[in-house]
Amino acid sequence: MNIFRKNDPASRVAEERLKLILIQDRLLLSPQDFESLKKDILKVLSKYFDIEEASIKINLERTKEKSVFEAIVPVVSVKKGK
Amino acid sequence: MGRTIVVTAGKGGVGKTTVTANVGAMLAKLGKSTVVMDMDIGLRNLDVVMGLENRVVYNIMDVIENHCKIQQALVRDKHLENLFLLPASQIHNKEDVDIDKVVDIVNSLEGNFDYVLLDSPAGIEKGFESSVSPAKEALIVVTPDVSSVRDADRVVGIIESKGIFSISLVINRYDLNLVNKNKMLNFESIIDILGIDAIGVIPEDKSVIETTNRGEILVNYMPGSPAAKEFSLIARRIEGETIPIKIEEPRNFFGQIFKRGVQ
Repeated sequence: MNIFRKNDPASRVAEERLKLILIQDRLLLSPQDFESLKKDILKVLSKYFDIEEASIKINLERTKEKSVFEAIVPVVSVKKGK
Repeated sequence: MGRTIVVTAGKGGVGKTTVTANVGAMLAKLGKSTVVMDMDIGLRNLDVVMGLENRVVYNIMDVIENHCKIQQALVRDKHLENLFLLPASQIHNKEDVDIDKVVDIVNSLEGNFDYVLLDSPAGIEKGFESSVSPAKEALIVVTPDVSSVRDADRVVGIIESKGIFSISLVINRYDLNLVNKNKMLNFESIIDILGIDAIGVIPEDKSVIETTNRGEILVNYMPGSPAAKEFSLIARRIEGETIPIKIEEPRNFFGQIFKRGVQ
């Protein structure tokens, strides 16, 4: 994963790192589990769409009542023959 | 009935004790009778930050073990007559604390004072539990760095599971110069990431070190300093006033000092 580019400002890198760390902390997922979760999501979606794997964003928002898991996956095109 | 608020954090060294002393002093200045309780058994510090170390006679363990009454253990502040310290014991361990007894002490204080602030120890071990259990509200102190925010998130989870839902962040040691250069997390993203509102953003302020060294509380000794001004706003927000968070440009502040020095 190449989200921590050298010329990104430190504050943005901190923010992105924190978001990933907190997803793992909140869901009690190991970094390995988290990676395989991401792969599984991508696998299912790529069955139906061509997607931009590099720009996938995963977020876990916590409110008082519940946690909301959110995955933003840019779709390039719908697969032909569907 | 008084309000009991625990001042806590996941990570050590983020300013819990400084926040407890200054918010406590500001509430007292607003006319509210206030007790600040040092729950860091074995590593007490609040007495030193308030400059009251020479006046400590009894401590919370003496109260728990019935060696004295609560009133005898309370130390009155040097300057504010309605601010009191209940010191921690230096010779006990956190495991020695009977949580039910702490809850009893806090309940009894709530009957006589407007505010009870609990200065919790760092970490999420036993001492943390005994400082959180008696509280209905929590202030979580966090500095704008990755490890502090991460640990704060853990603490939020634990506190919520204990039934405290009135939780606010105190973002401490905020350096607007670094934020403007995109080198430090800004307070909006900390609020966003943790999903908890902030009750104050305290600017990095070297006066804190100076006043702590002198054994004076910042809001008493240097009430015009940037951090003291924000502590004053936090106390007013706790009291229910709606005051939006506004970060002062540090340059203006130094400009003001300069002007004041010249006149």
